[in-house]
Amino acid sequence: MATGAAITSHSTSNPSSRAITYSWTILCLLTIGLWWLSPGHTTNTVEPSVDITTVVIVLGFIKGRLVIRYFMAVKNAPQWLRLSTDFWLLMLWGAVLGIYLY
Amino acid sequence: MSTLVSSASGGDELEARPPTRASKRELWVVFWIFPIFFGLFGMVFVFLARVIPPPRPDVTTGQKVQWFAAHATTIQIGFAAVCVIFGGAAIANGYVAYQMKRMSSGSTFAYTYMGAMAVGTLPGLLLVVLCFLAATLRPDRRPPITGLLYDLGMLSFNGSLGCFSTGYLAFAIAILYDRNGIFPKWLAYASIWQIVTEVIATQMWVSPAGPYAWNGSIAFWVAVIIFGFWLNCQGLMLKMATDRQPAGSRPND
Amino acid sequence: MTHAEPTRVAGLQLRAASIDDGQQRTVRLPGDGHMWFMVLGDLIIFAAYFIIYMVQRAMAPEAYLQAQQHLSITIGIFNTLVLVTSSWFIAQSVRATADARHERAIRLIYGGGACGVLFIALKAYEWSMKITQGYTTSNEFFMFYYMLTGTHLFHVALGLLILGIVVRELRNPRRRRLSIVEQGATYWHMVDLLWLVIFALLYVMR
Repeated sequence: MATGAAITSHSTSNPSSRAITYSWTILCLLTIGLWWLSPGHTTNTVEPSVDITTVVIVLGFIKGRLVIRYFMAVKNAPQWLRLSTDFWLLMLWGAVLGIYLY
Repeated sequence: MSTLVSSASGGDELEARPPTRASKRELWVVFWIFPIFFGLFGMVFVFLARVIPPPRPDVTTGQKVQWFAAHATTIQIGFAAVCVIFGGAAIANGYVAYQMKRMSSGSTFAYTYMGAMAVGTLPGLLLVVLCFLAATLRPDRRPPITGLLYDLGMLSFNGSLGCFSTGYLAFAIAILYDRNGIFPKWLAYASIWQIVTEVIATQMWVSPAGPYAWNGSIAFWVAVIIFGFWLNCQGLMLKMATDRQPAGSRPND
Repeated sequence: MTHAEPTRVAGLQLRAASIDDGQQRTVRLPGDGHMWFMVLGDLIIFAAYFIIYMVQRAMAPEAYLQAQQHLSITIGIFNTLVLVTSSWFIAQSVRATADARHERAIRLIYGGGACGVLFIALKAYEWSMKITQGYTTSNEFFMFYYMLTGTHLFHVALGLLILGIVVRELRNPRRRRLSIVEQGATYWHMVDLLWLVIFALLYVMR
């Protein structure tokens, strides 16, 4: 990593300290929520469940978008990056859901 | 590489030759061997020898014998040709090493790359050629032996990854340390993908079927797609490096 | 507002525009195009692996579900929280660097790195538990488990190396480029992002 412009006047494109902490809080809450949903926590045997898996997939999409937008600062990135990361999220989780439901 | 050449002989008539312009012709001759060799390699291995994509590992000995019988002619033509031209691999990789020597990161990485590629060529290219030519030479050979040649050829071709991974690692590190900008950083990152896919592909040694078999979606297809992409990138960047090299310059020793 | 220096990726110029819309919000590419090439490429490759996993799972759902039960959800949740927290540290360190608080940035990176080390330790413990319990790559689900978490673990280790490079950058008063810190952070957040997917697919979904 030998190149890079020394930019300090563009610090406003990086998320604020508060935004970072809010994102972290939401991610932790969603993760702990998954614990409640996860196999073996409520019953002894595991049954397949379309509802739970769908929730997991949607949450996966939301958590991924949070990390990308706020941690990776894509929120203030050029449009091509915002679009391609959203596209990746949609393709991945869409495919996962589609294959699961098929 | 010649720059200004003049000769003077004592007090006799001075035979001053006109200064010759520095030329990159040798570089270009060597460069073009890279795409030509890999192009031929691709065509032979895909269309003639039929090892890319590979035949299945989950077949019986009888089926292996049948496969050789079905493809004997094209295997023999293709792989006999490879026996003649595989020196092109040495030249292609040697030229990459030459460009690596122009980096500020020094010659060590260049020699590591060259050595790794050279050693890797034996199991990674030659062994399948030799095994398959031996198998097709005598169609009435005992089937278990033919079956062995099938396995040995495919396993060595797809599974001999440690040498190449080492070479790619040297390539990646050299680029990241290089301040002369011979190759771009993103090519170093792509080389790391190569290393990861090669390591994952080692599972083919224990998987006779499924995504981790030598013809599997993960051990083969994802890996070969990344390899094809990376090889094209390396070739293109090699051309750009040759373009940008000042005529008459030489790498450090 | 000054314009950012354009970065070049294989001839393509990615110029970061400077837009001041009154809310002091600028649009620019964090880090540089080379690292984004790495990150996006890695995301695509892993997506291929994830989709292949889903296809294989769809061909034997009961077997996969059975095998999934043997994973420890507790360790999985804990590892997720550890990695998400590490990302908090790293994101905060980028913020600190942007505010020219370099000492704070270094401490935050150490925090993130410590979380990374904890993740690796937990993963190693988890693996050793599974192996002694007899779940090896001979089981289809566990083959994927080891391969996905193993490849991810390699990325975590590489991430620690990259964080080390970032710390070295921050220590040198003549460097301290925001771009370098952002590149390291972008890579680290990718590692976090990939784990979120692995956790959802391997540990939670049924």
